[in-house]
Amino acid sequence: MSFHVLFLVSIVAGFVGAMSGMGGGVVLIPVLTFLGMDIKHAIAVSIVSVIATSSGSASAYVRDRITNLKVGMFLEMFTIVGALAGAAITLISGRRILFILFGIVLLSSWMALFQQRSEGWRPAGHQDAFSRWLELQGSYYDRSVQQTITYRGVRAYLGGPFMFGAGLIAGLLGIGAGALKVLIHDLVMGLPPKVSTTTSNLIIGVTALAGTSVYLAAGMIDPGLAAPIILGVVFGAFMGTRLLVRLTNQAVRHIFLGVLLVLGFEMLIRGIWRAGG
Amino acid sequence: MREQGSTHYPGKEKRDDPFDMESLVGYILLTGVLLSVVLLSVGLVWRWARVGSLRFEHSIVGMNFFEFISSTLQKIASRAFRPRLFLNMGIGVLMLTPFVRVLASVFYFAFVEHNWKYTLFTAFVLTVLTYSLFLR
Repeated sequence: MSFHVLFLVSIVAGFVGAMSGMGGGVVLIPVLTFLGMDIKHAIAVSIVSVIATSSGSASAYVRDRITNLKVGMFLEMFTIVGALAGAAITLISGRRILFILFGIVLLSSWMALFQQRSEGWRPAGHQDAFSRWLELQGSYYDRSVQQTITYRGVRAYLGGPFMFGAGLIAGLLGIGAGALKVLIHDLVMGLPPKVSTTTSNLIIGVTALAGTSVYLAAGMIDPGLAAPIILGVVFGAFMGTRLLVRLTNQAVRHIFLGVLLVLGFEMLIRGIWRAGG
Repeated sequence: MREQGSTHYPGKEKRDDPFDMESLVGYILLTGVLLSVVLLSVGLVWRWARVGSLRFEHSIVGMNFFEFISSTLQKIASRAFRPRLFLNMGIGVLMLTPFVRVLASVFYFAFVEHNWKYTLFTAFVLTVLTYSLFLR
């Protein structure tokens, strides 16, 4: 596979990843496998690039005070343990099952988000004692509506265990699983979409590092292959990040949904039709 | 940009000091990613200038992360600079970025915020990450 193709594919993946809060892997792995790369190697190289995408985007969001650091740091405890388990499972899994799982994860995320699409975000009324003890509240200035949004994170007792599952998927499929993390932030913990997306970006970096460590130990990281991919996703993510802060919550969600649907079907069909594996 | 939006927690004053948690985490991530990008770019451009190709293939086999970092540092110390070394440095810096961010968070929560709850949470994350990076 030529350097130029890898670089271009990675720019697009980084851009979409930053726009949606998913991380670049969701676009990268389907395209790399479509171009002939083995899915386990695509997963391994993707998860390294996910560190770059998420850290690059997160650095801007954190300094813009949109990310909720405490929500992120509480939930990281669960995602990293999940990511280690997930990556270990991938090493011993069949390739066909990885394609099918990839498709299922993307389509499930799409369905859950589609049902919620027409409803705008509403602040949670009552904060439970555990979430209050964890200090999961905050505010940020939303430039698109020019006002300060105040919110209270809720149901952390559910968000934590769910995040173990998101971390498991992240390590298993090399995708960062930003889609699932955003879902958990949105639907379980009641965070506004922009806080969900940006806090998810922060968590993805550490989660991807845990997954990368397993693939590195298995000798599956090729720096020559990873380098153009990392450079591409960072460049793409930089452009996506600049655009995200100017868009409304609904616009972010539309882009998010379209990407999930197409890629989910593509991976599922390839997994089902794929002979052997 | 910064004075427009700020996360604040009830019971505490809105923080505008230039070295708060958000700035620390943000600049660690930014520096790590930028440094990694520069190192990877130098490696690729040097490779292209030397052999006219950007194609590299070398896997890192049989090493955990800390052995990988230590072998890279030894090559730097012996001044064995080659394009491949720059790629290794780029990957190493990238992987160290979230690790250093967690490390800094532990110290910040412990010594600046004196928030023992979050010191414990981030210390747990640091311990699990360190363990995983010793895997081989």
